Amino acid sequence: MEEYPEELRTPPVSLVSLVGCPELHSTISTYLHSEQPPINTLALPDFSKISVLSRSKKETLDSGQPGGILKRDWLLKHRTRSPAVVAALFGSDDVSGDPAQWLQVCTELENLKAVVRGRNIKLTVVVVQSFDKDEVSEDRMIALRKRAEIDSKYLLTFVQKSSSDLKHSLNRLGSIVAELANTYYRDEGRRVKTCIEKKSFSSVDLNIRYCFKVAVYAEFRRDWGEALRFYEDAYRALREIIGTSTRLPAIQRLVEIKSVAEQLHFKASTILLHGGKIIEAIAWFRQHHAAYKKLIGAPEVIFLHWEWMSRQFLVFAELLETSSAVIPSNTSLPLVTKDNKPLTESEFNPAYYYQLAAHYLREKKCCLELALSASEAVAEIESSADSVIPSVYVGQFARLLEQGDALVMQNLTDAEYVLYALAEGKRFQDSFEIIALLKKSFESYSNLKAQRMASYCSCQMAREYFSVGKFDNAKELFDGVASLYRKEGWTTLLWDVLGYLRECSKRLGSVKDFIEYSLEMAALPISSGDEVQSPIHKGEYGPAGCASLPQRERIYSEVFGIMKGESGLTSNEGNVTLNVTPERPIRLEIDLVSPLRVAFLASVAFHDQVAKPGASIFFTLSLISQLPQPVEIDQLEVKFNQSECNFTIASAQKAPISATSIGKTGARVVTAPVLTVVTNKWLRLTYDVTSELSGKLECKSVIARLGPLFTICCQAESPASMNDLPLWKFEDHVETFPTRDPALAFSGQKFIQVDEPDPQVDLVLGASGPALVGERFMLPVTIVSKGHEIHSGELKINLVDARRGAALGSPREMEPISTDSLHVELLGVSRPDGDDEPQTGQDNIWKIQHSFGLLSVPFVNLGGSWSCKLEIKWHRPKPVMLYVSLGYLPTSNGSTIQKVHAHKSLQIEGKTAIMIGHRFMLPFRRNPLLLSKIKVAPNSNQSTTLALNETSILIVSAKNCTEVPLRLVSMSIEMDENDIGKSCTVRQRDESQKDHALLVPGEEFRKVFSVIPKIHSPNLAMGTVCFTWKRDSGLDKQSDSNITEAGIITRHKLPDVNVEMAPLVVSLECPPHTILGIPFTCYVKIQNQTEFLQEVKYLIADSQSFLLSGSHNDMVSVLPKSEHILGYKLVPLASGSQQLPRITVTAVRYSAELSLPQATSTVFVFPSEPHFKMGNLKEKVTEIVTTGA
Amino acid sequence: MIVCIAVVGHQNNPLYLQSFTEADDALKLHHIVHCSLDVIDERVNNPKKTGSTLNETYLGLLYPTENYKVYGYLTNTKVKFILVTTHLDVRDADVRNFFRRFHSAYVDAVSNPFHVPGKKITSQTFAERVSTIVKSFGLSSAV
Repeated sequence: MEEYPEELRTPPVSLVSLVGCPELHSTISTYLHSEQPPINTLALPDFSKISVLSRSKKETLDSGQPGGILKRDWLLKHRTRSPAVVAALFGSDDVSGDPAQWLQVCTELENLKAVVRGRNIKLTVVVVQSFDKDEVSEDRMIALRKRAEIDSKYLLTFVQKSSSDLKHSLNRLGSIVAELANTYYRDEGRRVKTCIEKKSFSSVDLNIRYCFKVAVYAEFRRDWGEALRFYEDAYRALREIIGTSTRLPAIQRLVEIKSVAEQLHFKASTILLHGGKIIEAIAWFRQHHAAYKKLIGAPEVIFLHWEWMSRQFLVFAELLETSSAVIPSNTSLPLVTKDNKPLTESEFNPAYYYQLAAHYLREKKCCLELALSASEAVAEIESSADSVIPSVYVGQFARLLEQGDALVMQNLTDAEYVLYALAEGKRFQDSFEIIALLKKSFESYSNLKAQRMASYCSCQMAREYFSVGKFDNAKELFDGVASLYRKEGWTTLLWDVLGYLRECSKRLGSVKDFIEYSLEMAALPISSGDEVQSPIHKGEYGPAGCASLPQRERIYSEVFGIMKGESGLTSNEGNVTLNVTPERPIRLEIDLVSPLRVAFLASVAFHDQVAKPGASIFFTLSLISQLPQPVEIDQLEVKFNQSECNFTIASAQKAPISATSIGKTGARVVTAPVLTVVTNKWLRLTYDVTSELSGKLECKSVIARLGPLFTICCQAESPASMNDLPLWKFEDHVETFPTRDPALAFSGQKFIQVDEPDPQVDLVLGASGPALVGERFMLPVTIVSKGHEIHSGELKINLVDARRGAALGSPREMEPISTDSLHVELLGVSRPDGDDEPQTGQDNIWKIQHSFGLLSVPFVNLGGSWSCKLEIKWHRPKPVMLYVSLGYLPTSNGSTIQKVHAHKSLQIEGKTAIMIGHRFMLPFRRNPLLLSKIKVAPNSNQSTTLALNETSILIVSAKNCTEVPLRLVSMSIEMDENDIGKSCTVRQRDESQKDHALLVPGEEFRKVFSVIPKIHSPNLAMGTVCFTWKRDSGLDKQSDSNITEAGIITRHKLPDVNVEMAPLVVSLECPPHTILGIPFTCYVKIQNQTEFLQEVKYLIADSQSFLLSGSHNDMVSVLPKSEHILGYKLVPLASGSQQLPRITVTAVRYSAELSLPQATSTVFVFPSEPHFKMGNLKEKVTEIVTTGA
Repeated sequence: MIVCIAVVGHQNNPLYLQSFTEADDALKLHHIVHCSLDVIDERVNNPKKTGSTLNETYLGLLYPTENYKVYGYLTNTKVKFILVTTHLDVRDADVRNFFRRFHSAYVDAVSNPFHVPGKKITSQTFAERVSTIVKSFGLSSAV
């Protein structure tokens, strides 16, 4: 598109001429140019220059038979030299000045009119007002208008006093000029159109020219519809004269018609695409393509036709790429053109057109080469190009001759023209043009993810590079293409590409690449195809020719000749010689993804999955090749990850060669009767190896040596995980298993696990029942040597949660590693000699962590033993797996021998030893009124409430939950340090309780404390019960358990209690027992502890067992801080344990009832005076009775 | 005239490719068939844009090259049939009809118990049947 002149590429712009007042020209030009649509100006500084506007003589002479269809510079003329409007600018001074000035104005105007009228150019007169002067008089203005013979609206005054005035004037001028320009182009168009309608033209050529002109005038007016219509008319008319016109010699005639058609087509396509009519544009292009495709022209200039075709595609591609038109997405495919032909997506894609442009350019290149080779007069070609220039008509060429001073155009003959065209054609580097086009197409397809189309483009690009001798570039591109064809199995295409690659590497002198590509080609699955190649399509096939089996065999023998060093290959192009020399032996690597797997594949399968060290391990080595002829291998080297196992298989026939090369390595050599790999037939070899080392034994690679200079290193593959052969997997050919045993073909692996030797050491973990939480649990570990001495032994200890199998401690506690955060902890290891410190100076390992321990074991003799004790502490009840493993060397010397390992594990339960409970009780026959107990909310989880300054009883119990007897050491309540003695008093009730009590399993131990709260507090800390105990191991073993001597402390935090003041306290005083029929007194004390007067109701219920004296119910007032005593005399009427009459006290203020618990209000009635033997007890009893009284 | 007919498998590998031209342009036809796979991919991946229903096996005109037109057909097992023709005015119905007959021939060929799915079709009977179908292309338009 760039080679078109600009006036053709861009829509036409109206041209206006300014005459006079040169100082204003730049302002007006700038303004008009920025108008929408823009207007170009042709500025003439003064009126003497107006002659340029007049019709030149040549133009006026132009009549009769035209010399061509379109004039080359007609468009340019209308854009730069032939204005539509002339604006005559006169200064107001001149207009309103003295008669001489006025006369001058009139003369200039007359001259201008004369020029303008000849070409129908429109005229407008502008009177430029000076800054300081007044307006021009009315009379002068009328006179001026009459002189100019223009409508009054085309005479305007240009005021520039202020910027707004200037802007206004410019606006007016702009609109008038635009209007006049439009009128001019319309009139011109109409004039030409009448010519067409009246058919008043002498030839069809003129018809085309007129149609073109009308269309261009319409374009000036931006009437795209009309423009398109007339371009199409012109195009159609042009189509008709093909073959009929005889004005020029045939070749040049066709060239001219095609050039004009190209222009018309370009204009029409541009208008269609800019109008967004993409479907119409494509249909138009198709029609254009179909119409001219067959117009090849004379055989000697066919290349011109292909060049022209290529340009059509290229220009349309560029138009499509730059146009804003998008593919209509809402319409559904298949899109159909007006004449009902389906469109495909690719036709909307510029890449398609670029690709075809490249295709035609390639065609051109071939034809041009042919034409050049046919014409022998090279010198003639060179000279013929001189002085030939494009003539005045589009698509015509002429020779420029000097005749004296004048230059004369002379028409060419066809023969001359052909020579000229050949000379021109030679100048261009078509290959690079083709590559550039293909690259554009390639990029576009790549963006669309159309990788195959893109590959096709890059394949063509590479061919072009190949043809110009840029083998590096070609090879790179071909490599990319080959990988796609390999992946998708397009053998024929791959063959072709590989043929190019082979040739490229040959030209580049890369022997290794050449051999690789050759081997791959020789192993391709091509079995059919005939050798004969028709000479017409020589260009179709690459250097490898047509894919066929004989061709494969030829390539095979060629490459093997080179590999064996028998023959070198001289590149026919030049100095590069391919051969293999002893200085540069060739080694090919074939890995799991290499395309050369088809040429050579090695599979290794061990017959077993595990093996004992030192035992023979059998495996099958299988080789397969798809090369067309049997491959004879001199020797095979098998490489393992354990280099001691490597060995070599030598062919029996070629023993002398192998013997020399192996002698120095000293590795094992075995011979095989035959080492020939036949096409598509597994060569199976079974051998054994012996490994002393435990661990994984893996076959790494198999190296085949073919001749002295060539080796192929195949990475070994497991039959179980072997991929299908690329390309061959789509072939319908016989497939066999790599091993004789079909099961092994599915499960065989190229590695085997070699066990480690069995340990001959006993590892004993002496477990003794479950561990108790809190204690330091001792676990003896004993190592007994039974057949191995233990050298540099190492004991690893691991504690693992039995349930989760993970580390100990709950996840949220994992972060801060402290003693408390671990549920179970390995505290240490004690040695039998009691020395549990690591011995310094020796490099003994001694590491103990929370759940992991590592310690070294000293040398143990054959039959000897060593033991230690693990100390483990449980913080929470939890089962734990203990893993102990011993690694050692059975002999003292040599680091080559691997360590032997013995493992042992044990699950140990951790159990809670002691369950501690507690209970609060009220004091005997005393009941404080606690307000919080009355107003107990139904759902509130209230803590225990105690009365302030009242004694309460606390009973703490500890139960042995284990299955072993425990010995109690002590039990006490510890207060928090800062609360001691202040908040409450906790005292041990009875000191006489003996410590060191034995608790058998399930037994409960109780201890009573009295509590007197001293502080009024809703949550008073009560402290912690500390229970110290130890395992009861019997008296005789007391000394043995010196560690646990201190005892284990189990703590139990008492809950906080609510302490409040009791407003009333009711207590009952009554003897514990009495005698039938003998009266006794019973007191109910109501103690008011508040500052208020308390009204108290009381009610006493009758009892059958007692005779009662005193008021049954009454209300009394108890004074503040005082006590009211109700006294009753009772006579027991029945003997035995009797319930006292029930007394209920109601505090009116709190409307709360208080009564003593049933259990405490009983008394024992003896039938008669008892006679106790124990005198002192009797004394005591009477004492109580007396005090009660 | 039909110049080439191809069957392409799941991995876009050629299963059967037969050209019916005198000229030795197999390589070119291979390229054309291979490139047309891109168009099929595009059509299959953007079914909305093509507007065809999901059950439509006939893909229509895939793309025109300078001398040929390429038509596509996708079986319900995602095997692709590609037809290359030099006819400039091919009736859609003819192509549909051709593909239908070709499909049944293909189904018969792969139903052979000795045929391994995913491998190239080497059956002689299939080749003969295909050439019969190809020869009758366009002639049976009245049917």
